[in-house]
Amino acid sequence: MPQCSIDGKEITVSAGTTVIRAAEQIGIHIPHFCWHPDLPVDGNCRMCLVEIEKMPKLQIACNTHVSEGMVVRTASDKAKEAQRATLEFLLVNHPIDCPVCDQAGECYLQDNYMAHGLYGSKIELEDKVRKRKLVDLGPILLDAERCVLCSRCLRFEDVVTGTNSLQFVNRGDHTQIATFENGPVTHDYAGNLADVCPVGALLSKDFRFKMRVWFLKSKESVCPGCSTGCNVFVDERDGEVQRLRPRRNPDVNKSWMCDPGRALYKSIGVTERVSGARVRGGAGWEGVSVRAALDRVASALKDAGASSAFLATPQGTNEDVFAFQALAEAMGGKLDFRVGDPQLKLQQRIDNVLQRADRNPNTQGCLDLGLGRDGVAAILSACRAGSLKALVLQGPELLRIPETVDAIAKVPFVVVMATHEGAELDRATVVLPAAMWAEVEGTFTNYDRRVQRLHAAVPAPGDAQPRFELAAAILSRLGKPLGAATAREVFALVAKATPGYAGLDYRAVGAQGQSLAQAAGTAAAPEARA
Amino acid sequence: MAGNVITVDRNQKAGVLPILKGHWITLQNLWRSLFLRQASTIQYPEQKRPVSSRYRGIHVLTEREDGTPKCVACYMCATVCPAECIYIESGERPEKTIEKYPTRFEIDLLRCVYCGFCVDACPEEAIIMSRENDLVGTTRAELIIDRDRLMARGKLVEHGAGYRPDDHDVRRPVRLKALERLETEHGIVPGMPAAKAPRA
Repeated sequence: MPQCSIDGKEITVSAGTTVIRAAEQIGIHIPHFCWHPDLPVDGNCRMCLVEIEKMPKLQIACNTHVSEGMVVRTASDKAKEAQRATLEFLLVNHPIDCPVCDQAGECYLQDNYMAHGLYGSKIELEDKVRKRKLVDLGPILLDAERCVLCSRCLRFEDVVTGTNSLQFVNRGDHTQIATFENGPVTHDYAGNLADVCPVGALLSKDFRFKMRVWFLKSKESVCPGCSTGCNVFVDERDGEVQRLRPRRNPDVNKSWMCDPGRALYKSIGVTERVSGARVRGGAGWEGVSVRAALDRVASALKDAGASSAFLATPQGTNEDVFAFQALAEAMGGKLDFRVGDPQLKLQQRIDNVLQRADRNPNTQGCLDLGLGRDGVAAILSACRAGSLKALVLQGPELLRIPETVDAIAKVPFVVVMATHEGAELDRATVVLPAAMWAEVEGTFTNYDRRVQRLHAAVPAPGDAQPRFELAAAILSRLGKPLGAATAREVFALVAKATPGYAGLDYRAVGAQGQSLAQAAGTAAAPEARA
Repeated sequence: MAGNVITVDRNQKAGVLPILKGHWITLQNLWRSLFLRQASTIQYPEQKRPVSSRYRGIHVLTEREDGTPKCVACYMCATVCPAECIYIESGERPEKTIEKYPTRFEIDLLRCVYCGFCVDACPEEAIIMSRENDLVGTTRAELIIDRDRLMARGKLVEHGAGYRPDDHDVRRPVRLKALERLETEHGIVPGMPAAKAPRA
């Protein structure tokens, strides 16, 4: 455990820690371009030069290991001069087209120039080496003029996806990154290339020219695309989600996220959202208030009693499915969630990076909470036998399967909590407007039994409500209130009722999530020692 | 004293004489405006007073020589605007040299406070202000002016250009101060290094 001093602050780090990471631990930011916490060290940009006592030359902080008694100065005159000179060198051929560059606002060149540069350019704009602009690489665009040749994208393709489609071509001033014959990047992780690029050389085509990043507000959330549960930022402006961006979590997704996941924001702010409740009357659909619809559902459930069935959705948060389970138990009806057997695909991977075959974010949470009780087949056969008087669906999954249509048609009262309009909703008797994942507070439990927190980023459209609120409202109409009004309170009930979740609350879950396996390990450890 | 400044004696005692004096001034002005055509007022909509070339009136979007907007949709004006009255949507230009341009550019003239920050923020001198100040409309909607109307205003020569960086650069003192600090604190003098004498 070597001890060193960085800018006069003492720190003890584990052996093999680099200076840049040690500095990060005590809150000292060393400027850099090519270093990335989840990529191998390359040390080519030379921006992180620092002065280390007893070393004749300046050293790069990203590739120098801390040794015992090391004295590092990141902001000495010598280091500052070197950093400024490096930056000037990197910017020699930069086109300085910040007004039209989408990276502006989150650009390392801008940040480092303001913090460490502040020199006047010695190169006239006309003398700069011109390179290729607007090269179409499929989901991303390459602007070789803005590139600082840090090779982050090359290393990403080398280490994470293993595709190696980007390479350096030419030499000296004329070096550029390029794909073979300008072919497109074809893997599912192209969006990360735009993320790792510290400058505006690789930009997402989807986000291009859409919004200046300083207008965006970020909320921490979890991607609902599959059971991996990648941590994301939901970037929104004025209640409209503009993009999803990976949030670093070394235990789950590192700094990455897949392109199908990135595209999920597009289904949030669409006009096809269900924004109000409706009930099937004599003359077709009849728009009613959510209250009236809930009254109708409650009275129908009272009539149905135990001859009712409840089908939860693994798209719902733990809070949603818990409240739904409480509703099912209050009625004594049948309960399950496994439409299409998502639990069979829970651990199955689609590729070697992040994606998993189970496209639901919370299958594990449903299993942990005991939602898989009676089996979907049993519910469907009860439907066919005509013994069910009411069927409550937390999501429209079952209505989308053609084989089940005849079974559902035999149930006189079908309630569905839906987020999006669709032809399948015509099979229901009551449609309740449900909020989507970006609009609710809650938690998901991923394939690895890690409980992770979602934050509401944007308001739900119209009268749409979180699913747990809908279930709680029905419960209170039945005279058996849930006893919790907010997601935080519902989660407290979840923690109390579910084995393995004991002692968890939103604070313990935090920004990086809480692994249930680890929590069980730490809880079991003292006993094992005793 | 410069200009038309007059000096008023506030210590004058009350009495008949000051009243008569006042009447005399009124009579003089009556005479001037009735018979000599030297009235202080003007016939407003037909006549207009000259305003300063720094006047901050209704905005103008300037054009390139080919008639396209100079604006590159960098959103600096929308960012700096304290009234949040500028709305921009950007798109890609067909020719690849400039890349970005505004597909929508709207200013809500009823929200605008005419501070001129947008003109200061613009890196392209694409938005300037005119000297026009009579803002008339029958609905609120027609006072939200769009890109084409903002650009067509450039052809209005009646009022002339108002506040613009060319004419009167208010940022100049700020810039000079920043340069001074750069030199004293960092020892940097921006710009091209002085040309060395060619070798003999």
